[in-house]
Amino acid sequence: MVGNSGEMVSVRGIYKRYKDLPVLLNLSFDIPKGSIFGYIGPNGSGKTTTIRIMTGLIRDFQGEVSIGGRSIRNWNAELSSTIGYLPQQTSLQEWRTVDQSLNTFGRLSGLQGSEVGNRIKEVTEELGITEYRNRKVNKLSGGTLQKVGMAQAMMHRPKLMVLDEPVAGLDPESRVLFKNLFRKLSREGTTIFFSSHILSDIEDIADTIGILGQGRMRYIGSMEELRERVGRSTEVRLETVEPVPNDFLLERVQGVSKVERVADNRFHMIIEEHKEMDAVVDRTINAVLAEGLHIRGIHPNRQSLESLYLSYTDGEGKA
Amino acid sequence: MSLWLLFKDELNGFYRSKIMLALWVGLPAMALLLYFLVDDIEGMPITVFTGLLVSSIGGLLTSVLIVVNILNEKEKKVYDLFLIRPIRRENLLLAKFGAVFLCVTVASFIAIVLAAVLDSANEGYNVQDILTSMKDSLIIALSIMAINCSAGVLIGVFSPSVLIGVLLVLFGSNQLSSLVLLPMITGWGEMWMIGLASVGISGSLLFGAAMVFRRKEF
Repeated sequence: MVGNSGEMVSVRGIYKRYKDLPVLLNLSFDIPKGSIFGYIGPNGSGKTTTIRIMTGLIRDFQGEVSIGGRSIRNWNAELSSTIGYLPQQTSLQEWRTVDQSLNTFGRLSGLQGSEVGNRIKEVTEELGITEYRNRKVNKLSGGTLQKVGMAQAMMHRPKLMVLDEPVAGLDPESRVLFKNLFRKLSREGTTIFFSSHILSDIEDIADTIGILGQGRMRYIGSMEELRERVGRSTEVRLETVEPVPNDFLLERVQGVSKVERVADNRFHMIIEEHKEMDAVVDRTINAVLAEGLHIRGIHPNRQSLESLYLSYTDGEGKA
Repeated sequence: MSLWLLFKDELNGFYRSKIMLALWVGLPAMALLLYFLVDDIEGMPITVFTGLLVSSIGGLLTSVLIVVNILNEKEKKVYDLFLIRPIRRENLLLAKFGAVFLCVTVASFIAIVLAAVLDSANEGYNVQDILTSMKDSLIIALSIMAINCSAGVLIGVFSPSVLIGVLLVLFGSNQLSSLVLLPMITGWGEMWMIGLASVGISGSLLFGAAMVFRRKEF
């Protein structure tokens, strides 16, 4: 058994590859009970694979995952009733109405008798889809179908909700509805794990954020810590008159943690400690002039949450 | 519990599907057409001929229906929301098989009973003959369709695409299901052997499908 009593999810050393393509490389993280965990990464970084492993849909992987202290290797009825799952695209049997779908999923999850009908009423009201209850699922818009997907995930009041890009494709009103719902469920003790490739979807509701890049967890911590890090770090944009030779390495300047070469004569440099900015700018100017180059401009900027995210994912998420 | 619930659900979906509607109406209509359009079918009672037609056309259509249904649901990841719930994976397949087989059983029964009624209107057939040919026709039709349905389930589970699935149905399950007619054609077997062979073959195919489906990763 892995994990401790304070954790709803414990993921340890997950490796997963599809044929020769490695997808997850030694992935480890914990999710405390009742928290909202935002799992962010570029498209194709392995978010859905992680989710499919956590929900028992992928069984062939190395490593260990436990939910509520139980290893998912021993998948059983109790474990599956702990989880509510919303896939990236909600696919339901097309001949069913919304009510029929929720009825079946509710009963399969262990609800009985009048409890099923009552719960359908509750969740459809909560998600604002009451008027669609008797409509066939193949007649629903993408956003409404996503809400039906959310409804089926909530039907049996799971302790853990695993949601794969739940707000993707929703209109602004529905995004707010979903986010408020996540907060409410979290207050009631439900642990929420949800993925996105858009940082702004996560930053205002996640207690903890995990940034996945190239199959590895690049950052894990609270949003406060990340915001603090953003506040600390600074981006300096440097432009020279002449092209800078390839063998001139700005990374060597003390205090510079990362350099992106945008053009032959333009660079974005990340300075980890905001307080050191003036000293680092001085050292950069001296280094460039010593190389016999001329400076057209040097501009310090506070680093945005988005650019920090890109620096963690090595720019994978860039359009 | 989950098997019964899934079976009722699948039945609810299948009995109203377009292919099933075609069978509900089409199979009895074939018996009627035979009666009104064909003067003589080599002395064969309409009941027997209807039984053969029903098993051939109905069997083919139902196996295609199952294959396409399973492949579409696999492709769209419909099973994900079922598989994360506390159910036995193979129940999804058994429920589908049961629902389709029950629907075609009822459709075949209606068609064959109608054919028997039409036979009874013809001179030269006594009630005993008609009842015997009705029983034999039902055994043949249901045996062939049971094999077709179960082969459809197996092909649906492991086939990578609808095209390959349909080709396998045309060249595989249809030929396999005709095997059970051998005892009747060669004259060395009894009608109950056809039923028994059908149960054995269908059971094996469903068992194979369940084994593959249990291990399958979607």
